[in-house]
Amino acid sequence: MRRTVRLISLLAGVAISSMALAQTKEPIKIGVIGPTKTLVGKQGVQGAELAAELINKEGGILGGRPVQLVVYDTNFAPAEGVAAVQRLLTQDEVKIVTGEVSSSVALAAVPVVQAEDAIYIATVPKHPDVTKSGYDKIFRLNSTTAMDAASFDQFLTQTVKPEKVAVIAENSDFGRLTIDNLKKLFGSKVVFAESYGMQQNDFNSMVTNARASGADLVCVAGSNMEQYGNILRSLADLNFQGKRCVMPGILNSQGIKVAGKSAEGAMSADIYLPSMDSEANRKFVSAFEAKYGNGPEKIELLGFESIWIAAKAMDKAGSATDADKIAAAIRETPWETPRGKVTFDTSGQAKSGDLIRLEVREGAMTPIRN
Amino acid sequence: MTELLLQQLLNGLTQGMAYALVALGLTMIFGVLHVINFAHGEFYMLGGLTAVLVTASAGLPYVVAIALAIVLVGAVAWVVDRIAVAPVLDKRDGPSTVLLATFAVSLLIHQGVLQSWGPTPARVEGIPGAISVGSIVLGHQRLLVLVTGMALLVSIELVLRRTVIGKKIRALAQSAYAAQVVGIDTARVRRTTFIAAAALAGLTGALLSPVTLFTPAMGQHVIINAFVVVVIGGMGSATGAVVCGLALGVLEALASIYLPQEIGTAIIYALLLAALLVRPQGLFGSARA
Repeated sequence: MRRTVRLISLLAGVAISSMALAQTKEPIKIGVIGPTKTLVGKQGVQGAELAAELINKEGGILGGRPVQLVVYDTNFAPAEGVAAVQRLLTQDEVKIVTGEVSSSVALAAVPVVQAEDAIYIATVPKHPDVTKSGYDKIFRLNSTTAMDAASFDQFLTQTVKPEKVAVIAENSDFGRLTIDNLKKLFGSKVVFAESYGMQQNDFNSMVTNARASGADLVCVAGSNMEQYGNILRSLADLNFQGKRCVMPGILNSQGIKVAGKSAEGAMSADIYLPSMDSEANRKFVSAFEAKYGNGPEKIELLGFESIWIAAKAMDKAGSATDADKIAAAIRETPWETPRGKVTFDTSGQAKSGDLIRLEVREGAMTPIRN
Repeated sequence: MTELLLQQLLNGLTQGMAYALVALGLTMIFGVLHVINFAHGEFYMLGGLTAVLVTASAGLPYVVAIALAIVLVGAVAWVVDRIAVAPVLDKRDGPSTVLLATFAVSLLIHQGVLQSWGPTPARVEGIPGAISVGSIVLGHQRLLVLVTGMALLVSIELVLRRTVIGKKIRALAQSAYAAQVVGIDTARVRRTTFIAAAALAGLTGALLSPVTLFTPAMGQHVIINAFVVVVIGGMGSATGAVVCGLALGVLEALASIYLPQEIGTAIIYALLLAALLVRPQGLFGSARA
């Protein structure tokens, strides 16, 4: 009896060690930071995890080594972001950090990454300064407010052609920039421009005044979906008959759900739409739906891209540790991602052509021709 | 111009009714228990959450949501009273301990909802449709808020003036010691007041969530304004809470016509501060719930 047990355990031991042998190739760790306890943070991590899974299914990188993500919460706090990045670079010994939503956290992370001579691929942060540190291993996937404006302004002046414009903006950097930009663009045609606090939730008064200004276009610049969703609702409730636009890069399906029927016909633009017609996008969307049970949107795409590009660049550079070579590979390669061809300029800013103009039709973001 | 004024008046009245109803509960609790209930905003939020769960998730009619919001939030308040208010109230420094205890409860409820429901906002389908005269529009849901609010205010006044429990509440508000001497079960009256005020907040949350949307942070937003209303109206004064709540809503809306919104709000609070300096006991005097 004892002998059989010993034999079995021996056999089991052999089996386990041979199984282990097949997977012993050391995983390559990539760091992911973000406010993982919030909805948008979670969305980014989901995209990142999907990319790692797909790469590993295809046999990994650098001769079959799997990609492993190390995810830390930054909780929208620069101090926590710095701690997370330090931990990633020193304890976990990653060479590439990706992710984040908040620009303040990303800006705080940049010097830490620079000190360790590592690479940072920022996903969502939109502040222009993120790629302006002068350190050449910082990349950013999302578009900046200035890039959005450049593309959207043309659409507003040439296609929408409003007579009078009202702007309802949140009281933040982004909201103020938008008001200034639209005032520059439309001059005296801007007949109403006001900002609301980040805690406001009843917009009937503001919308009443916007309506009374006689504007035929209301532009909404607010990043909180409950707020822009509610503004769209108030516009519909008060029978506003003009056009409505939500500034580029903000609209998502949850915001449309919040606004319900009131969102119908609202215009916007973005760098990615889940309905984009390409082989790579169809694959991405169906893999995402299979894994999570719901469709991806821009935030998920950016999370996906960050890991996809990071891993493929290591593969191309032939190294998981040589930051110079990996950064050069990121910069020099045109990347095929679900949103099309993505290239990086010398500052590390990603570009993927013009924004896609869209309109809400039957509760979905639908691309429109100019 | 008249139309704009009228529209803003209607907008302000609905917003003001929300302030008034939340502030009324807060001031009732202060008047009778002599404590500040920091968890009051979370009761309001729980009412909104109930409305979401009942209408959007369970697919039941909105009326059921309103009824359930009263019952469920009342039940939560009963538990809160049992564990965080009644046991500490009569101890030394009771009122300030209760302030901290209810603050802890408010964090607990808020974080609990964030963990289970998440930070996502949600729509509540209230009563669709609107009445419009010319360019003036009043949504049916907002009308419901106004009508129910008025009915609630009148019935609370009647209960306080005409019923036995109302008289007990008023007696307790005037002097807890004297009330005890004449044989009023003060612990019970306090509990009833606490639960009724919380249920009122829950009901208000269920009424307002179709107008403002449900978000887990809605309680924290409303409580600030409610506190201001209570302090200005006079701590413990029901009339003060109602009048000042409605006035604050209407003033905010009317001021928004002439001033950028944030400046308008700042001026109103500056006026309120001035009123406090001149009349620190509040516009409507001392405790008479």
